[in-house]
Amino acid sequence: MPDLGRAALVTSFLLLVYASAAGVFAAWHGRRRLAESAQNALIAAFASTTVAVVVLLTALARHDFSYSYVAQHTSRELPLGYTLTAFWGGQEGSLLLWLFVLCGYSVAAVLTARRAGREVIAWVVPVLGLIGSFFAMLLVFVASPFATQAAPADGAGLNPSLQNPYMAIHPPMLYLGYVGLTVPFAFAMGALLARRTDERWIVATRRWTLAAWAFLGVGQLLGAHWAYVEIGWGGYYAWDPVENAALMPWLAATAYLHSVMIQEKRGMLKVWNVLLVVLAFCLSIFGTFLTRSGIIQSIHSFTQSSIGPWFLGFICFITAASLALVFARLPLLRAKTRLESLVSREATFLYNNLLLVALALTILWGVIYPLVSEAVTGQAATVSKPYYNFFLHSFGLPLLLLMGIGPLVAWRRASLRALGRTFLWPVVAALAAGIGLLAAGAGSSRIGVIAYTFSVFVLASIVLEFARGTRARRALGGVGWGGAFTSLVSRNRRRYGGYVVHAAVVLLAIGVAGSSAYQTVRETRLHPGDSMNVAGNRVVFRGFDTKLEGNHRAIRANVDVYRGGDYLGRYRPGKNQYFAEDQVSNEVSIRHDLLTGGDLFMIADQVNADGSVDLKVLQKPLVNLIWLAGLVFVGGSLIALWPDAREERRLAERYEGVTVRA
Amino acid sequence: MRPGGEAGRDYNLGVARRGSPARLIVALSVAAVLAVFLLYTSIAGGGTPSLQPSQLAGHAGRVSLVGIVAGQPTGDAHEGGLHFLIRDRHAMTSVPVVYKGSVPDLFKTGREVVVDGKLQHGTFVAVPNSLVTKCPSKYAPKK
Amino acid sequence: MSVALLVGGLLAVASVVLVAAPFLREPVASDDRLLQPDAAQRRRLAHAEERDRALDALRELEFDHRTGKVSDEDYRTQVGDLRQRAAAALRQADG
Repeated sequence: MPDLGRAALVTSFLLLVYASAAGVFAAWHGRRRLAESAQNALIAAFASTTVAVVVLLTALARHDFSYSYVAQHTSRELPLGYTLTAFWGGQEGSLLLWLFVLCGYSVAAVLTARRAGREVIAWVVPVLGLIGSFFAMLLVFVASPFATQAAPADGAGLNPSLQNPYMAIHPPMLYLGYVGLTVPFAFAMGALLARRTDERWIVATRRWTLAAWAFLGVGQLLGAHWAYVEIGWGGYYAWDPVENAALMPWLAATAYLHSVMIQEKRGMLKVWNVLLVVLAFCLSIFGTFLTRSGIIQSIHSFTQSSIGPWFLGFICFITAASLALVFARLPLLRAKTRLESLVSREATFLYNNLLLVALALTILWGVIYPLVSEAVTGQAATVSKPYYNFFLHSFGLPLLLLMGIGPLVAWRRASLRALGRTFLWPVVAALAAGIGLLAAGAGSSRIGVIAYTFSVFVLASIVLEFARGTRARRALGGVGWGGAFTSLVSRNRRRYGGYVVHAAVVLLAIGVAGSSAYQTVRETRLHPGDSMNVAGNRVVFRGFDTKLEGNHRAIRANVDVYRGGDYLGRYRPGKNQYFAEDQVSNEVSIRHDLLTGGDLFMIADQVNADGSVDLKVLQKPLVNLIWLAGLVFVGGSLIALWPDAREERRLAERYEGVTVRA
Repeated sequence: MRPGGEAGRDYNLGVARRGSPARLIVALSVAAVLAVFLLYTSIAGGGTPSLQPSQLAGHAGRVSLVGIVAGQPTGDAHEGGLHFLIRDRHAMTSVPVVYKGSVPDLFKTGREVVVDGKLQHGTFVAVPNSLVTKCPSKYAPKK
Repeated sequence: MSVALLVGGLLAVASVVLVAAPFLREPVASDDRLLQPDAAQRRRLAHAEERDRALDALRELEFDHRTGKVSDEDYRTQVGDLRQRAAAALRQADG
């Protein structure tokens, strides 16, 4: 069976190379049948990769430890669910997942985005084929999931902190995002190669980009949630290079989603857009390179890792090739329209873009700083939270504000008087909120007050957008308030879905500000009967319980929480000691306050021989807004993604009229 | 009455043809970002040096010590301080560390760790709660 | 083991068939050209996009005016020009 897996991967590799080579030849010389053949090769590569996936899944399900990969990442007592999701738990398997998702996306995009035009698709196929060939090459020659060995009695098992539903679903979500960014990139390159100056390819790939971006965002929130409940240090984001690896492409993709709207509406910023999509794609490949190569540990581990140099070479090639192509097509991309006013919606989108890219680049700098400093001074130096927080505040807070300003500004030119009127209520609301917050004692954190005030401004402007739009729609006659609202959103799904996504980002900002700027942290050693006070909660330690489970010993500190005179419940933070893996995992206990959205986060930091516990308790206001924001984000994205029959008809009429007739 | 072919007419309003404000904004913003960046690095300094025990000698300020936990840790991180040795990744030079604060679950002898602090009188005095273990990377090649 | 061989064989055959399919379907193609849109078609496409953009801009201006984002004076200043652009674009697209 491993031979079948290997053979399937070799087949995928050959098919993808064929798709690239034949695709280039067919597009260059204008050969229709060869172009179709190259496209079919992509489909066959998807089938072949699926076979490889099935082989690995079967081996995992059967606990076939003759596969090195299965032995390294699973064990006999691992539950079936985690055994199967161990598929993407290691280097080789996750590369196979990448290739699988890439082939799937390639086939789906090429078949459904026909509106982009046959001559563009003819170039998109070899671009996708080339990228796929790289990953297939790695799987065949460098990191095969089908390496075999003498089967040991039992496998090494999965790291206990990964045995968690969030960690199981987080990689596929992230990959659907990372890999999804390949589609707009390939279409952008395809359009440039085919010398197209129209927007067909943007229109054709719009939904793909939005979906990839949404998956990447959700994937990150899932990862943050996992870190919060599983790793349990009391936080959800540590500015770790691996976390940043997903954030950077997401920021670039966010910028791209916005600037693409300007290109559609005004025909400007074509060069900027294409550079953004190249940046987003390169950052996504760079991101996976960071996660895999261990390069950030030190430059020495880079040379030891076999996969690092390949990725680095690939990134350099892709960056150089795409920039060269953009440069070569520069005359075609010159816009005919210009930015008319610094106070217009186009301008606010441009400011938004600049801030997003600035944030992404400063994060990138922070991530590669150890390498750069070592190369330049011989001494590696790192940056940490203060660096990232500084730039997050410097760029993130203005971005937050812009989210409220942008929708209220007209296209082309906005007069200051009109602005004054539209901004009036949001500004009043924000100022009132600010004063209220200061009165309530939120002044302890300046950043917190600013973040909250800006958030109120944005929320008010979003609510106003919906309200004014509904009123205008209703004034047209024929519908009541409800009908006007649904009609408004339905006719403008991207805009209003976008507003819902903005609301999600605001919720995220409020949640982050509350749980970081206004949290209370206390740590004390408690003997049974002792108590500690954390932000008005009295936490009493009652003693330990130890229990033997299947593959671990569970030690729990029994803790009672009171507030005022009320008993809020018993919580049991503690530790699990895993026998097979010889590891201890932290099991935190969290009390969610549904009314205030805050959490009481309890960590049994150290279990002492004398029966006492070093208990660390954090009170994190509003932290659950972050997870709520995730749900709102999904809802908004779905609205924006929802197919619109009317728009489809309009686009069909626009483009089919000029379809090339064979 | 306008002549037929409108294709050549320039519909730009109000803005001189020679320079798009977009380019000006981009240039100014790049300058602004660089200024903010330089301001930060000049105030906050250029990062924390990341050193192994053998490189510690002579560094007076706060550094980030990287290495492998050697020997048996003694003491209590929550009372009096946890005492342990950190050695180079590929050598035996080690330095004693005293640490107070939360100890990560993965911490044990032989694990690679990072801790911030200062070398004082031959002992590395750690910044509280700055101890981090490097997850044995699931993607790293088996050594 | 034999299952593996069977699947492997099927995969190989299917791949070859898929890749060769366009040539098997039309061994001798009357027209094998992958046509690029010619200059006239490109112009028509550009005009169609320009027309849609102009109409969309007009619609947005009306909506922004109705929701109060654009004042009456601004509306009056911009609407005339936008209407002209839209009319010109319509003429080009249909003509």
